[in-house]
Amino acid sequence: MCGINGIYAYHRAANLPKEAELLSTRDAMRARGPDGAGMWWNTERRCGFGHRRLSILDLSDRATQPMISDDGCLAVVFNGEIYNYPQLRVELEAAGVHFKTTADTEVLLHLYARSGAAMVHRLRGMFAFAIWDGQRRGIFLARDPYGIKPLYTANDGWTFRFASQVKALLVGGQISRDPEPAGIVGFHLYGNVPEPFTFYREIRSLPAGHTQWIDADGVREPVSFVNLAEILATGGLCPRPQAELADRLRNAVVDSVRAHLLADVEVGIFLSAGIDSGSLLGAMGDAGQRKIRAITLGYEEFCGTSEDEVPLASQICQQYGAQHLVRWVNRKEFHDDLPSILEAMDQPSIDGVNTWFVSKAAKEAGLKVVLSGLGGDELLGGYPSLRDLPRWRFWFGPFARVPGLASFARELAAAIAPGFSQKHPKALALLKYSGSWSGAYMLRRCLFLPYELPRILDTELAHEGLRRLKPLQRLRDSITPDPGSVAARVCAFESANYMRNQLLRDADWAGMAHSVEIRVPLVDLSLLRTLAPFIPAFQQPGLGKSVLARVPKIPLPEDNVARAKTGFGVPTSSWMITANAKGPWAQWPGAGTKGHTSRAWSLAVLNSWIPGNITRETQAA
Amino acid sequence: MLALVGDAFGGRGGISQYNRDFLGAVAKSGMNVLILPRNAPDPYFIPNNIRQTRPRAGKLRYSIHAIQTALRARVDVVFCGHLFMASLAMLIARLKGAKLIIQTHGIEAWPRPTLRQREAVESADLVLSVSRHTRAAVLTWAAIDPTRVIVLPNTVRSEFVPEEGSRIRAILGMEGKHVLLTVARMDSQQQYKGQDRMIAGMPRLVALGHDVYYLIAGEGDDRPRLEALARERGVHDRVRFLGPVPTRQLKELYQTADLYVMPSTGEGFGIAFLEAMATGIPAAGLDVGGSRDVLADGELGICVPEVDFLDAIDRALTAPKPDRNELAKAARARFGRDKFGAGVQSVLNRLKEAA
Repeated sequence: MCGINGIYAYHRAANLPKEAELLSTRDAMRARGPDGAGMWWNTERRCGFGHRRLSILDLSDRATQPMISDDGCLAVVFNGEIYNYPQLRVELEAAGVHFKTTADTEVLLHLYARSGAAMVHRLRGMFAFAIWDGQRRGIFLARDPYGIKPLYTANDGWTFRFASQVKALLVGGQISRDPEPAGIVGFHLYGNVPEPFTFYREIRSLPAGHTQWIDADGVREPVSFVNLAEILATGGLCPRPQAELADRLRNAVVDSVRAHLLADVEVGIFLSAGIDSGSLLGAMGDAGQRKIRAITLGYEEFCGTSEDEVPLASQICQQYGAQHLVRWVNRKEFHDDLPSILEAMDQPSIDGVNTWFVSKAAKEAGLKVVLSGLGGDELLGGYPSLRDLPRWRFWFGPFARVPGLASFARELAAAIAPGFSQKHPKALALLKYSGSWSGAYMLRRCLFLPYELPRILDTELAHEGLRRLKPLQRLRDSITPDPGSVAARVCAFESANYMRNQLLRDADWAGMAHSVEIRVPLVDLSLLRTLAPFIPAFQQPGLGKSVLARVPKIPLPEDNVARAKTGFGVPTSSWMITANAKGPWAQWPGAGTKGHTSRAWSLAVLNSWIPGNITRETQAA
Repeated sequence: MLALVGDAFGGRGGISQYNRDFLGAVAKSGMNVLILPRNAPDPYFIPNNIRQTRPRAGKLRYSIHAIQTALRARVDVVFCGHLFMASLAMLIARLKGAKLIIQTHGIEAWPRPTLRQREAVESADLVLSVSRHTRAAVLTWAAIDPTRVIVLPNTVRSEFVPEEGSRIRAILGMEGKHVLLTVARMDSQQQYKGQDRMIAGMPRLVALGHDVYYLIAGEGDDRPRLEALARERGVHDRVRFLGPVPTRQLKELYQTADLYVMPSTGEGFGIAFLEAMATGIPAAGLDVGGSRDVLADGELGICVPEVDFLDAIDRALTAPKPDRNELAKAARARFGRDKFGAGVQSVLNRLKEAA
């Protein structure tokens, strides 16, 4: 993990960028890269790159960034890891390329010099990078297919800026803080800010799996180079016998884990009592790693209850001979850390607290790199959405097609049972949104419903935000072309929305805050391509995961497989309720339920975000 | 390219000049241009590759004429020179399967326009804005990919170059005095150009010891209010209203000034700042709207908040005069005709890429 940034005065009338701005944005990302910093300017000083380094591959000074090609024509800043770097290097050397370093960054320069934009198809890994092309006098940006690494851009019409973090771009002082209604509405809908939007109109995320080109003719529209739905659709067209699944999954997971172990520093793992991280731990051993340190969070509140993950995680460690580090977290530490958590949060999010603490533990243990089981639920159908979406479509879909029925039912409920729709906001919405896959998925994941927003937000902002966000169309795009089966659609929805905008982004800011690189072997395009022909058969939550449990040569203990999925649970409900006790939303109907806590927490996060807020609740308070 | 414009060749004012510059550069690149103006009060000369039809002032007549002309002609690109024609331009672009460029200038594009105009902007292949501010304003109300909204700033005519001496200063009896100048309309409906702010600040400049005079060129129905203000502030002998100044005399008028001042809050770009600087006269404005672009955030001219404006003028009048040729060169390095031509070529390149 590193922090990258750059400024390019691409317009002919633009002022030359200031070094102070480049450095202040760069150094706002100190936590992303505490091991070193670099800066580069092109000869006319119209384009400058900054880099903060977390050394993981080639720890020497030769590998510092920005890295310049031998002929001086190309310069690169790169955040991420290219896991197939050794293979690419062999290939390039065979073609006569001479390498100066053993860092994966250098391979980007050589690949770009040979293949230009098409280079991205050769990369396996997580990446966000920018290459200055001195001959074409422009910047080439790229971001990995899943969006594991962040990349934000800002274009004021004269000058283009980019950085790994939204907050770092703002520190530069030249970017407008005018709000983006689509980002604000998106956060209220989902509890995260859906890309490409951010909270600020001028700042956008380069979407996952896209490249972008900027030169004197202007900033070009991002171009997609990979489509998860298409991979799933193609896989679904050539289904493979389920008998092959176990072997294929084993080979593909061990291959991915082996690739993700590429580092010149120790690689640890975040371990829960669940199947995903446990299987990865087993696969680490199968991939050849001998010394493994695994970190589990323990909560005093959970001690001795079925929620306590520590005993089962210890059992996994014992089975695979890993050293188990248990880090205890209590309510006091949560409250003490809360201001730092909100500060580290790059964009508002209702999650990430768990990742914050487990990354903190990794740093305390001296680990720079850890594997995480993130992505297993998306890939192998572990979420309730796999069960709920087809059910909702079946039972309520026909009603959703009756014009006006949903609003009539809402009004009727408001008249005869006024508390019902507030206590069960999603129940009546089933009649409105179950008519399409996108609607059903939005309902599954949404925090507030679109028609609730004018009640919570400024009415005009809510309407304008929905108009700009186009939530249903955006979801439809993530399953276009149609993956062809329920399981594949759910995989595409979850991977391109919840995982991308929530889980991966939280893993980035929460890990980054502690200078810890979180690697996700289950979020890997090669693995997806291998599994795509099998995914349509994962018709129930748990089917795919049970095969994953048998990936390690010694399968996961039965106790772990049998246990319901909890992931890294934290007793956040009660802690958040304490943190929120003074908020006006504490009085809402349904207080104390999980849905209510999430809604209230989202508003509390938002409240910390924008002083003098935009929500009606805060105004009332 | 079919251009729907208020006026271009034979028109008056900044937008008309911009249309001539833009369409002239397009024609120079080899593309044929057919211009449909609503007005053309002055005689004009048409460059190669351009045809301009007879003006049609009425909205309905203009629309019918535009659609009829479009149906008969080959149209690859529709250029819409003003937001108020955007719906018509969108309709024609759809009828002809042509690309659509919509031009935005200043205050017309700052507030949210009508729903149909918004729809047209959102459907455009490219939206051109004369400044970063106008571009940002468009992006507040239009749900359009920001990469499709491009800044193409105004440029300056070639006759605005530094020359020594001005007869006007002697005629007005202002030898040895500090002369401030504003060239702008005096429109009682808009009142944003800032002549009133400048008049109100004159007593302070005099109190600071400057033997300063303020020349106001231009016409408009707000003049009586401004004259009254000058009297009220006791500076009527130091404020001179010159009335409309013919284009051919403008350059000499700029040469008369020590400082071009325009504390305007509503500039889409502020072409007069550029004309002054291209003539070698330093310029001062507010860091508001499009003025920030032409003054290059203070790197080309003085660009400060209103509260600091008089202090900035005070410093500028006290400081040694800048080298006129250097200032003119710096202004052209950003906004010269060659840069404008390159900018138009960028626009055409982008259209080709979108094809």
